[in-house]
Amino acid sequence: MGYTLNFAVVWADFHNLLWGLGLGLVLAVFAVAIGSGIGLIAAFASVGPSRAGRIIVRLYVSIMRNLPILVIVLVAYFGLPQIGIRLNKFESFVGSLALYSGAYLAEVFRAGLMGVPRGVVEAARAIGLTRLQTSLSVVVPIMLRNVLPALGSTFIGLFKDTSLAAAIAVPELTYQARKINVESFRVVETWTVTSALYVGTCLIIAAALRRLERRYPKF
Amino acid sequence: MTEPLAGRPLLQIRGLHKHFKEIEVLKGVDLTVHEREVVSIIGSSGSGKTTLLRCVNLLEEFDGGEIVLDGESIGYRVRRGRRHRLPDRLLSRQRAMTGMVFQNFNLFPHLTALRNVMLGLTKVRRMQRDEARVLAQTWLGRVGLAQRMESYPSQLSGGQQQRVAIARALAMNPKLVLLDEVTSALDPELVQEVLATVKSLADEGATLLIVTHEMGFARQVSHRVVFMDKGQIAEQGAPAEIFERPASARLAEFLGSARR
Amino acid sequence: MDRFLAQLWMARDAIAGGVLISMEAALTAIVIGSLLGLVIGLLLVYGHVVLRVLCRIYVDIIRGTPVLVLILAAFYITPAVGLQMDAFQAGLLALSLFCGAHLGEIVRGAVQSVPHGQTEAGRSIGLTFPQILAYVVLPQALRQALPPWVNTGVELVKASTLLSVIGVGELLLKTQEIVGRNFMTLEFYAVAGVLYLLINLGIETLGRNLEARVRP
Repeated sequence: MGYTLNFAVVWADFHNLLWGLGLGLVLAVFAVAIGSGIGLIAAFASVGPSRAGRIIVRLYVSIMRNLPILVIVLVAYFGLPQIGIRLNKFESFVGSLALYSGAYLAEVFRAGLMGVPRGVVEAARAIGLTRLQTSLSVVVPIMLRNVLPALGSTFIGLFKDTSLAAAIAVPELTYQARKINVESFRVVETWTVTSALYVGTCLIIAAALRRLERRYPKF
Repeated sequence: MTEPLAGRPLLQIRGLHKHFKEIEVLKGVDLTVHEREVVSIIGSSGSGKTTLLRCVNLLEEFDGGEIVLDGESIGYRVRRGRRHRLPDRLLSRQRAMTGMVFQNFNLFPHLTALRNVMLGLTKVRRMQRDEARVLAQTWLGRVGLAQRMESYPSQLSGGQQQRVAIARALAMNPKLVLLDEVTSALDPELVQEVLATVKSLADEGATLLIVTHEMGFARQVSHRVVFMDKGQIAEQGAPAEIFERPASARLAEFLGSARR
Repeated sequence: MDRFLAQLWMARDAIAGGVLISMEAALTAIVIGSLLGLVIGLLLVYGHVVLRVLCRIYVDIIRGTPVLVLILAAFYITPAVGLQMDAFQAGLLALSLFCGAHLGEIVRGAVQSVPHGQTEAGRSIGLTFPQILAYVVLPQALRQALPPWVNTGVELVKASTLLSVIGVGELLLKTQEIVGRNFMTLEFYAVAGVLYLLINLGIETLGRNLEARVRP
């Protein structure tokens, strides 16, 4: 086997790993926020009156769910400059991830919309609320409670997908790990610690999510 | 039984027609409800009574005829000889003139009882928060639920939820209140509290259009009872006439089976 | 446009080769992963406590780690501990482990969703445990598991793009090489994108046909 474990090298650079982890979380938060905006609009369009809107959303969702994220990330960063759109690494990555997650979130929100009881919507219309007022004051609050579990697991997935930012040299966790690996050759230690950081973060988020779901159960 | 204080005609339904796909559900209904009048509609399921109610508050579209509420023709306008459904903004304004209480209460689950009543006041009547809160509290007190105003619907019994629903409809100060089988989804012991609330509204002079199969209640509270059958009004009259001396065979048959 | 078509023609072998490698990686991984997933899923439901815990740990660690990290770890660790593998094999190892963990969870869920009454009925007519599994539980469970299984296949095709990071000559890496020569970035990424879309839509269509055939 000829490999002796030496974690000291990794601990020395541990702060870099943590920094990368933090950056990954920040990227995920931005992506999920923008993606939710896209997803909400898409969800409303997919159940709305406009046939063109419904078709556009179907196309968007089909395409984004079948394209590898890495292709989207590389196109955004290397391809867009060709038509004059020059984004920095962070902007292009968050944009790519947001566009990608928007497709998944559109499905999540659409299911949530269908889960709002029709009678409650009628009651809102019956007291004279307009369609817009009904959507904002009644439908969206109820829907958000119902989609909480799915939204949470999508966020966890997005956080893991931030590892792809390493491919365009964004200094998040995976990039930092690779750097340490290449410089120190402590392969087993580096990757076990990195994996532990990802798994640990996901478990913490999942636990927090469960507590949130207990406090705000579905309607 | 309350003495008829028939005011001017408040609701006039003229020749109302509606079909669902190929089935004609309303086949030309004419009905007038006067101010401060309480009218109950009875009939078997499929007679069109709930559909009629839902056309009045514009939750359903109708294909022919006219509904005039307090002198205003609602739901549609005629332009250059063609009939158009009004845009959403105008429909919403018209809906605010009627109040509806549903069989399944349909309270907003994410809001407290108080906020359920306040929502229409702040968003539709555009009241200030404080003014709306006071008015909502008054109405909740009126239905006997002042103590429970900070409770969520999931924390209230069916009868309590329905009373909140009544407060929510009435706080909007509608010209006419529509009640759609408001006790059908309740456990028997909770039915009385709701019926008592409705009766007190009638006693205070509200204009009510009630769809129900609580025959005893219809008899007790109404000025007029309407019997609907197969999409049309088959017979109508004072409660005593309808329940004791039904003129048509169909009504007699319906009442016979209802009593069983 | 002419220039693009000329370049496309010149690159046809590279692109075709890339597609083949991508498909080879995804297919091999799903075969290995399915076998692995079946075993793990069954162990998670019926296994001895120790085995259940071990499987649970394996599944949670693999599922909590991004695929890219799994691939990089396999790539760097295998030579260091004496396992001689080329990049493709290391990547395949990572993808298979990933697939096994995901399918393990899916099989577990599907088997647990078969009503307990089914097992009881099997026992009451004298079937042994392996017979109950083979004739009663698994046929129903695998039918349930079909849609998520097809989905995992699509995810593997998408994950095969990550092998480009360790130098495996699949479609994405080939595309990058082509673009490095002719600088027609958007055009060739679009070609790759369309190819991935076609492959995945094809998998989903096959999946739907399979589901239709299997559901009575």
